[in-house]
Amino acid sequence: MKTNIKLAWRNLWRNRRRTLIAISSIIFSVLLASWMRSMQEGSYDSMIENVVKFYSGYLQVQDTAYWEERTLENSMEVSPELIHQIENLKDVTLVSHRLESFALAANHQHSKPGMVLGIEPEAENRITAISKKIKTGEFLQPGDKSVVLGKGLADFLNLSVGDTLVIIGQGYHGISANGLFPVKGIMEHPNQEFDKRLVLLDIETAREFYSAYGLSTSLVVMTSDHYQVNHLKNAIGNLLSSQKTVLTWVEMQPEIEQLIQSDRASGIIMLGILYLVIAFGMFSVIMMMVKERRREFGVIHAVGMKKRKMAIVVLLETLFIGIIGCTIGLAVSYLFCLWFYHNPIPLTGEMATATVQYGMEPYMFFSIQPSLFYNQMILIFFISLFIAIFPVYNIYRLKITSALRA
Amino acid sequence: MKIIEIKNLKKTYEDNSVPVHAVNGVDLSIEEGEFTAIVGPSGSGKTTLLNVVGGLDDATEGTVIIDGMEINTLSSRKLTDFRMFNIGFVFQAYNLIPVFTAKENVEFVMHLQGAKKAHREARSTELLKAVGLGEMMDRRPSKLSGGQQQRVAVARALASKPKFVLADEPTANLDSKSTENLLDIMEQLNKNENITFIFSTHDQRVVNKARRVVTLEDGKVKSDEKRE
Repeated sequence: MKTNIKLAWRNLWRNRRRTLIAISSIIFSVLLASWMRSMQEGSYDSMIENVVKFYSGYLQVQDTAYWEERTLENSMEVSPELIHQIENLKDVTLVSHRLESFALAANHQHSKPGMVLGIEPEAENRITAISKKIKTGEFLQPGDKSVVLGKGLADFLNLSVGDTLVIIGQGYHGISANGLFPVKGIMEHPNQEFDKRLVLLDIETAREFYSAYGLSTSLVVMTSDHYQVNHLKNAIGNLLSSQKTVLTWVEMQPEIEQLIQSDRASGIIMLGILYLVIAFGMFSVIMMMVKERRREFGVIHAVGMKKRKMAIVVLLETLFIGIIGCTIGLAVSYLFCLWFYHNPIPLTGEMATATVQYGMEPYMFFSIQPSLFYNQMILIFFISLFIAIFPVYNIYRLKITSALRA
Repeated sequence: MKIIEIKNLKKTYEDNSVPVHAVNGVDLSIEEGEFTAIVGPSGSGKTTLLNVVGGLDDATEGTVIIDGMEINTLSSRKLTDFRMFNIGFVFQAYNLIPVFTAKENVEFVMHLQGAKKAHREARSTELLKAVGLGEMMDRRPSKLSGGQQQRVAVARALASKPKFVLADEPTANLDSKSTENLLDIMEQLNKNENITFIFSTHDQRVVNKARRVVTLEDGKVKSDEKRE
């Protein structure tokens, strides 16, 4: 094998310039492919993060009936032990209670159905960075008896900071729920529907209002790495009783995942075209390498080298080109993407404005998920193997006498 | 002792659907230690005969028996092994592996045979010294003259300790000095080590050195002259 490797390696450098061109084409293609994928996945990561931070969180623990029928009757009691167990799971960064229901929000003249959301102010702020969305007034503090309103709702009800909001609804087990709450802040939520309906309360105030003492409709679980969501779902699921379930953001918002999948598919078509170009480049080099050595193959077969060994040598040559190009390409790509990961490209003009309106940062983000890079290597490896079929086939068809006349 | 026995050997090609009888009923025996030249005009069947005898091409009819083994019956894999252990080849265009040094080229066949490194190194050094290239063992073919390359090819042919060496027009690309030098080396190896050489050639200098001259014409043996 050592001699085969030596022969393959030296054959590679018989025409140094041609080999370097082939390797360079792979390096640039891998760089382009990795950069494209990094930008694509970076934008998905950013989209997921933003969508999740709008509202749902990465995972939610709920009563098994709540997702289908979102009423206070399907709220749940959560023991401190369960919270502690979930918080102790690897990759969990935050666990927060919510109590959510609908009620009529009104002033002295108008009323509108509102989404009344009881939150743990500090934890919720870490989940959704909601305090940054406050336009006037202040965000809630634990124990506050006041509310924060979406700007759309505040405008509809003609309320401003310091005014009083009337909430009329139905509490736990049908108990009447009415209350007056001073407006502490007005926020601009990037989701228009939320902006027109959202009423935020401290969770204890909300529980008192709805007479749902000690109850939550959901437990929001956050992680630092959204790729761990399925693993966390299993881990949390193992801690829950049969009355409770855990949902991922994908289950709660499947349309986002579908959007990403369809966009990813279009990116993969582009990658396919790019890899086709790589494959043809490698194929032409390997074809030239084999065709110009036909007589040599005839001689080494004549003196006793079996076709299988000759095929191995050619296969090694193909793999060497692929692996060298890919390894250098990956190193360069990683450094390149790492730089963009730490220095995302700022968006300008209308695109930046639109992005900010949706509550996202106006940057083009990049991902440095290892799989983005090693997948390129695996692909090039298989492309090399595929390309090697042609020279190997030629070797197995080799006829010594005609090869010696070549 | 007969080393090669050829019986009624025929090789027919199709050339534009026209059958060409390149070898047309050759009967020939080669004894161990012979220094034989196969001569004849172009198209007389010299190279084809050597190719079939060397197991590089199939016979259409007839048999080739080498050291008691009928090579026509061997599978492709077994034939490759048979060639490796029994036949040395010297080709017209040297045909060395360009990325290997002279020494590595000579070692190559021994490596295929599975010989140990120490044995390979000792034998390749010994052979290259024998062909007068002891000082040029680490040069690649591109750094050697045509004559030197052909001497490396002779050393390579002998590396596997073959029963005989087939040389197809070995001097065709050499100048007169290199030809003389190469022929001297092969003659010495033949006389001193009893190595059997069979040449196909047009070169009168080779014919003059040969101790047996077989003349082919239209694929048949026209004459078979033995000299002392």
